[in-house]
Amino acid sequence: MKNRSPEQKETPAPAGVFALVITGAPYSSQAPGTALNFARAALAANKRIERVFLYGDGVHLASGLSAPPADELNLSKAWSDFLMENRIPAVACIASALRRGLINESEMKRYELPSSNLRTPYEIAGLGEWVDSVSSQTRVLYFHRGG
Amino acid sequence: MTTLIIIDQAPYGSWEGREALDMAFSLAAFDQPVSLLFCGPGVNWLRKGQDAAGVQQKSVEKNLAAAPIFGVEALLADRAACEQYGLDQNSLLDQVTLADPGPELTARFDHVAFAG
Repeated sequence: MKNRSPEQKETPAPAGVFALVITGAPYSSQAPGTALNFARAALAANKRIERVFLYGDGVHLASGLSAPPADELNLSKAWSDFLMENRIPAVACIASALRRGLINESEMKRYELPSSNLRTPYEIAGLGEWVDSVSSQTRVLYFHRGG
Repeated sequence: MTTLIIIDQAPYGSWEGREALDMAFSLAAFDQPVSLLFCGPGVNWLRKGQDAAGVQQKSVEKNLAAAPIFGVEALLADRAACEQYGLDQNSLLDQVTLADPGPELTARFDHVAFAG
């Protein structure tokens, strides 16, 4: 946590720049769906999404192994496509991810696990990414399991 | 940029409070001012003499005792919730300050975040 300083911005982020934190899991909460609707609406209104941060149960959204029935919305894929189309950086918190079995290649090797499952374009990183958004006065919105 | 993180869930029932605590410690590690507010069943985090061995967990008491050392500015407890759960100043951890949650309190912070 201490090995990386958050980028210190000299001026506050301009109005209309958002960072989204998703803590509710797909399929057991509405949070990822609501967040995606918000993100699409924000871009349509010429706002900017600075980054998406998955925390707690929200990390399940980045699983490359989720396979809902074909006639249901694939939330993980929909989010992943949206992030790539709009080149929005997305991070899953490493502590939340490792606890819940969301693993990238390097963590797979480090812990000698049988597989990795992190979807493109997510990265696994520490809370410093979130601190960066909070400390830069970007508007940070939270999508919890209740909403 | 001052931040208030609110924990409104009892300890041990879920990981959300612990992960909110990690958020507070992370801000403090980056020298960002942060305080914690415990309200509702969350005030039980602040109870002295916790033993979580029966649920195979570590007591959160030690984590909270370290909060001021890590740079967390204040541990605030919802006064009404403390009364509801039978907690008085003697049964609360030493560093705790009683507070009355509401717009006046949250207005003192630039950023307010809840545990999941």
